Amino acid sequence: MKTGSLIDMLARGAGPAPRAVAARRLWPAAALGLLASAAMALSLFGSIPASMHASTAPWLKLSYAVALALAAGWLTAGLARPVACLNLPRRAVLAVLVVMVLVGTWSVVAASSADRLAMVFGQTWRSCPWNILALSVPALAGALWAVRGLAPTRLRPAGFAAGLLAGAVGAGGYAVACPEASMTFVAVWYTLGIGLTGCLGALLGPRVLAW
Amino acid sequence: MPGDADLNDFESGLKPLWLRAQSGDEAAYRAALERIGTRLRGYLRRRLQSIPDEVEDLVQETLLALHLQRGTYDPSLPVSAWALAIARHKLVDLWRRRGRRDNLHDALQDVDESALAVSSEEGQARRDLDRLLSELPAAQRQAILLTKIEGLSVAEAARRTGSSESAIKVQVHRGLKRLALQVRASRP
Repeated sequence: MKTGSLIDMLARGAGPAPRAVAARRLWPAAALGLLASAAMALSLFGSIPASMHASTAPWLKLSYAVALALAAGWLTAGLARPVACLNLPRRAVLAVLVVMVLVGTWSVVAASSADRLAMVFGQTWRSCPWNILALSVPALAGALWAVRGLAPTRLRPAGFAAGLLAGAVGAGGYAVACPEASMTFVAVWYTLGIGLTGCLGALLGPRVLAW
Repeated sequence: MPGDADLNDFESGLKPLWLRAQSGDEAAYRAALERIGTRLRGYLRRRLQSIPDEVEDLVQETLLALHLQRGTYDPSLPVSAWALAIARHKLVDLWRRRGRRDNLHDALQDVDESALAVSSEEGQARRDLDRLLSELPAAQRQAILLTKIEGLSVAEAARRTGSSESAIKVQVHRGLKRLALQVRASRP
């Protein structure tokens, strides 16, 4: 086929370009990922103790997860395009992380020295990052599928951003089952779990995002 | 740098056409794709000096990718940067698949910018898109033939085949996507 005929074929009846292509793929992926991770958390680990229902801890965890997911989703949408301005979304991701680190530091500094170790490690530090990584798998699959259907040209960073998004979604799902109440714990171990998911995404990116 | 001025001219000519094309102007879309195709031919010819046979195949592959991904264009950024980023991605993919990563660096460094003259002469790709089209699943092939080759409107094609308009659109998009995958897989 001559290139001119190909151009004729592509242009004929092409209609307007589709809009909001990144959002239309990333939102459903993140929403389904959140449902899947919350369902997995409830069936694998059970709900949080009833005494926590009235506390702010689950809501603070969820707020952290949602804020980071929004920022990472914005970054992912940028990296799913061949060219995009990435400064603002990068700063948004950093800002969420910095706020969480400040909150975590502030709570541990404000606590009495006898409680500090317990605030950092809680009861579940050994399993928390791995649980978040495991609960993020459905969201990671969804986010990578979403990015793969777009036009990423920096595959490793795009995979990393999709992994951060998935990790934040998985952390949000884990909040329904996590018995820890300390924000210092969240700042350290949740962030580590989300970072692990980001690294998994970066590892998979070049392989699964090629197009 | 003369290259920059040249690229600016290219961009300022292309952008208004492209924006009209994005909102559904078919003639503007055809004209924009022709300009981009010509530019891509020059860009790829300089970088594929050792394998000139690949140039037209890659021009066509990139045009197909541009069409399928036109939704990822951000109107606040230059069209030329967007199109060239996709071309570069396809070029790197080509080299990687040929297992000659080193050659890419050579080719990029040895670019003779005076050879920047853009060629509009049109080559024939070695790869036969018509044959690849004929290998698509029947529903996709038919939807593409009716709307993209015979030039029927989506409504007419829907009446002709007895399916809904949205089904026709989906089949056309899936068919072109599949075509792009086959094009990538059929690379020699």
